[in-house]
Amino acid sequence: MQASRARLFKEYKEVQREKTADPDIQLVCDDSNIFKWTALIKGPSETPFEGGIFQLAFSVPEHYPLQPPQVRFLTKIFHPNVHFKTGEICLDILKTAWSPAWTLQSVCRAIIALMAHPEPDSPLNCDSGNLLRSGDVKGYQSMARMYTRLAAMPKKG
Amino acid sequence: MEDYGSSDDDYRYSDQDDSDCELYENNDQNFELLSSTAQVITEESLLAAQKEDLRRVMDMLSVRQHHARTLLIYHRWDVDHLFEVYVEKGKAYMFAQAGVSVDEYHGSNSLVSASVMCEICMDDIPSDEATRVDCGHCFCNSCWTQHFIVKINEGQSKRIRCMAHKCNSICDEAIVSSLLAREHPDMAEKYERFLLESYIEDNKRVKWCPSTPHCGNAIRVEGDKLCEVECSCGDQFCFNCLSEAHSPCSCLMWELWEKKCRDESETVNWITVHTKPCPKCHKPVEKNGGCNLVSCICGQAFCWLCGGATGRDHTWSSIAGHSCGRFKEQEKTAERAKRDLYRYMHYHNRYKAHTDSFKLESKLKDTIRGRISKSEETKSSELSDYSWVHNGLSRLFRSRRVLSYSYAFAFYMFGDELFKEEMSKAEREIKQNLFEDQQQQFESNVEKLSKMLEEPFDTFEYDKVMEIRMQIIDLSTLIDGLCKKMYECIENDLLGSINLGTIHSIAPYKSKGIERASELQVCWSNKANNTGVTAEFDRSEESGCSSRKRARKDGEMFDLNLPADALDRI
Ligand SMILES: [Zn+2]
Ligand SMILES: [Zn+2]
Ligand SMILES: [Zn+2]
Ligand SMILES: [Zn+2]
Ligand SMILES: [Zn+2]
Ligand SMILES: [Zn+2]
Ligand SMILES: [Zn+2]
Repeated sequence: MQASRARLFKEYKEVQREKTADPDIQLVCDDSNIFKWTALIKGPSETPFEGGIFQLAFSVPEHYPLQPPQVRFLTKIFHPNVHFKTGEICLDILKTAWSPAWTLQSVCRAIIALMAHPEPDSPLNCDSGNLLRSGDVKGYQSMARMYTRLAAMPKKG
Repeated sequence: MEDYGSSDDDYRYSDQDDSDCELYENNDQNFELLSSTAQVITEESLLAAQKEDLRRVMDMLSVRQHHARTLLIYHRWDVDHLFEVYVEKGKAYMFAQAGVSVDEYHGSNSLVSASVMCEICMDDIPSDEATRVDCGHCFCNSCWTQHFIVKINEGQSKRIRCMAHKCNSICDEAIVSSLLAREHPDMAEKYERFLLESYIEDNKRVKWCPSTPHCGNAIRVEGDKLCEVECSCGDQFCFNCLSEAHSPCSCLMWELWEKKCRDESETVNWITVHTKPCPKCHKPVEKNGGCNLVSCICGQAFCWLCGGATGRDHTWSSIAGHSCGRFKEQEKTAERAKRDLYRYMHYHNRYKAHTDSFKLESKLKDTIRGRISKSEETKSSELSDYSWVHNGLSRLFRSRRVLSYSYAFAFYMFGDELFKEEMSKAEREIKQNLFEDQQQQFESNVEKLSKMLEEPFDTFEYDKVMEIRMQIIDLSTLIDGLCKKMYECIENDLLGSINLGTIHSIAPYKSKGIERASELQVCWSNKANNTGVTAEFDRSEESGCSSRKRARKDGEMFDLNLPADALDRI
């Protein structure tokens, strides 16, 4: 418990110090609970998520960083590796390939990379995975863009 | 369940008294010894058992012990397979795959800088409080220790990976042990235990003895894993499914049979077919006449066919205000259940008769022991050899077991449950006749032998004793041959003709009975309490057995573990 708290505190300080270092990621720690974090990430350019801002929720286990944090999308997203209803993410580094050397910041970077490079073979969203696997990239992109517009862009007016 | 466990220790052929058995036993004992050799691994010899495999890998690949273990755990202790991968794919591939880093890190600054930054806790740590592993990654001792504990608690102690990004390297067991031992000796102990027991748990050739209470032993078999063995604790079991030895039943047949005997499911069927719950009070109501309108003691009348409540007016053919037309179907089900029950009872009765005989005959042991000692007092020295009685008796015991299991086998072989689609009705009938013919011959001779052994030979004249002796020897040979023939019929004509892969393979017939696992030859130094994975391997004591090791032909693994006397016979 103590070790994870110390490490999270270090990450917190690092985030404060390098606020401008990565403009695509904005990590925020819960005021009252250092084990709860949220992040706002920018949809990568040249993807259907471009222009969208996506919110992630982190729940950090007590053995962190020896065990991976749980992360899910709070913003609806149409992506083969994200569960459409719950926002759960299927990403190897969050499970078997986790290494304690990852940080919350680097997890965010890995998720941005996943948005740009979906893995249609391990889908959590079958509709989306099927579109991609059947080669219907256009269909996938237009669905994904629609949801980005509906859910991840600030409402005008 | 019938217990054959308390076995016939005194009545097995030992290697010494083979003077008589040479006369009538088939001369293939050497073959049988070679085809499957089982060994007992005790808590004490567990370390030695794995040292043997570790040593071979260490010698062959010139690697250190912990690397050998990592490789072996990855390949489930299958040394042959490991060498195959080595030959086919090469060392580099094999090492990377299993997570072995042998290119030791030659960092230039490890001594120069007084502190290192641990990437996990993000603290600056004095170099002497950090540990670098084989792959070159360095983290602080406290992070390593926490990492090891988390992994061990997650049940992954046999393959603890390095903490670095994408590093597949498995941590050196000596480092894991020594770091854990500093503040968590209990975890260190647990870890070493897991590593040791990996040899049993991850090894296709080794299984825990299924005895309860557990005798603490494991059995290792060489060669065919479909066999029956006896542990040094006396427990005899099928190495494949770990239940009692059950050939000529296949493991699946035996599992089904045991379950059937346990729940007497046919009887349950019988009851469900012959009673129905009352729609009002839900008590089972038995149908007692031909009429399909039944009434419960609670006064409710209902239709037997569909279970629905009815009024009380009816004729023989119909119930007032009710027509459901299910009688025919219902009648058929009842017929079938009845037929199945009788069929099961037929086989079960015979199965049970032989297991009961077996129990009775076990008492014969004492009687015969008494007769022998009486004879020894009174008879002349010409009759000093009584091995024929022992041998006849153990032949009888073995045959009884086979006979009882052969009925469970026949129940499934010729029933609808397993092979309905595999044989036509005519084909099944022919096969059943063939089998039953052999089974009956075998059975009647076993009964003869049983009778013969009950003769009070201690009261007979010399000539009469010699006559009985000859008869018992002849009968034993005959029975052995018949039993072998029956097994062959099962393997080739019955199971072999049905293409089912290996699900229904059976353990091969052993003329001399279930093989008793020999004690593992410990030729490695096994100093008290050095169960530790870091325990040193004693080279000086190794030389004692190395000649035996080298004697084996290349590529033939089983030779290595043959008992010394078996090697002499080759
Ligand atoms: Zn550290
Ligand atoms: Zn590493
Ligand atoms: Zn045992
Ligand atoms: Zn079995
Ligand atoms: Zn009733
Ligand atoms: Zn009636
Ligand atoms: Zn009815």
